Amino acid sequence: MTAILAIIKRLLASNKISFILTAAVVVCATSSGETVLSNGNYTWLLAVMAPFFFVFYDFSKLMHLGASKKDYFIGCLISYGLLAFCISLVNTVIHLVMDPIYPAQTVINMMDVCRWTENGIFVAAIQQMLFLLLVMIFLHVLLSMQAHWYGWLTDAVLVAIICIFTPIAPLRSALSGFFRLIMLNGNAILHIGTCLLLSAALSLAGLVVLKRKTL
Amino acid sequence: MIELKQVTKQYGQATVLKNITLSIDEPGIYCLLGRNGAGKTTLLKSIAGYQNITSGTIKVDGKTITTSALDTGVSYIENFAKHFNLPVRKLLKLASEVNPNYDYDFASEMMERFELDGKKKFNHLSLGMKTMVSTIICLASNKDVILLDEPVLGFDAIMRVEFYDMLTESFNKHPRIIIVSTHIIEEIAKTIQKLIIIDKGSIRFFDTLRSVETKAFSVSGLQKDVEAATRGLNVIGQDTVGGLVTCYIFDEAPKQTDSLEVRPLSLQDFFIQMVGTRGGVKR
Repeated sequence: MTAILAIIKRLLASNKISFILTAAVVVCATSSGETVLSNGNYTWLLAVMAPFFFVFYDFSKLMHLGASKKDYFIGCLISYGLLAFCISLVNTVIHLVMDPIYPAQTVINMMDVCRWTENGIFVAAIQQMLFLLLVMIFLHVLLSMQAHWYGWLTDAVLVAIICIFTPIAPLRSALSGFFRLIMLNGNAILHIGTCLLLSAALSLAGLVVLKRKTL
Repeated sequence: MIELKQVTKQYGQATVLKNITLSIDEPGIYCLLGRNGAGKTTLLKSIAGYQNITSGTIKVDGKTITTSALDTGVSYIENFAKHFNLPVRKLLKLASEVNPNYDYDFASEMMERFELDGKKKFNHLSLGMKTMVSTIICLASNKDVILLDEPVLGFDAIMRVEFYDMLTESFNKHPRIIIVSTHIIEEIAKTIQKLIIIDKGSIRFFDTLRSVETKAFSVSGLQKDVEAATRGLNVIGQDTVGGLVTCYIFDEAPKQTDSLEVRPLSLQDFFIQMVGTRGGVKR
């Protein structure tokens, strides 16, 4: 457990650039007009950047220090959980405290766009946290695969899905249905269940990829 | 215990390891010798589970080693290993935290002995110092198998001597299998127990240093005398200068006569005869 805690600490510490960039964007982003974007939305940037550091920067260095792949894997999952919790907490606080005092008439926060606030702010925060966890695990798996042929194949398949599914009406509705399920979902139980299930499935996929990872 | 059975590793069309079968049963300091591109790093990385082999099996303490092994019990360090850009002391501390069996006292002691500035960040160290930090981390890990790939690269003569002492101390403190790959043969001879020579992906020699001392000889003289003396013996190389022939053997020494000069081979000469080629032809 000490090893896992040390790995979590190191993963978060070496993620400083993501923290600084996200904080800078959240603080400095400005919009004007009657309808503006909430600054809290930009906290999601951290969820997008963190997996890049975990996969491309931290993995080999931790292995050279003698960490095991198992501890690295568990450390990453816990770190994503922690980051998801913190991002969700900050965005929720911004939504509750900062958004109402904005001079604009309408402030768009992703928690509203995704219809999570329909279930109350506490449940919305949990939904947001689990969605962000899913995003980070998805990115982690995708980035881990990039050194192998199946990573490139997955990229190509994802691009093909978007390109083919978007112009064809029935496929487009299937694609939007998927995004309504994992993201724009007001049904808290369905949304939380889906995110947890997909996160677990992607984690297993991530473990398989990690087992094939070379140094 | 390390057990390799018919290990082959291919990169595309190139076969880097060819059907290697090798068993290392006893704790000891082993020296892995080979020319550039002989397959040393590939062999060590495969034993560490850093990469997969094409065919065959590698087992460490009965556990099959592939990249799938989430915890191998092997510590491997390459000479240009990158670490977090932290102060040396903090880096050694971090290594102790991520590695349950890590000997932090040993690492600290070595840091003092090699006069490593604990406050200096890793990226600000010289190549030799970086390698030393990597080596200390690897040795202090106390894993059952330690693999050091070219650890003395970038070391000055004094550091090399200190390194060999550190290796011996670390082994005496915690006997285990330590394999060191190096090109500087004679210096490490006092430290090691067994020698592994790899050439073009195959193991050419695996035995004790004692066997080299007692069985490796050069026999010089006129061609007919040398041929007569070495007939039936294991000849590993031959040089001809004018009418004088020198045969290199790994066998019982022939009797010294007036017409023959029999000399023991140095470790370096033995290695050269085992793997050396001249113009692409075996010596």
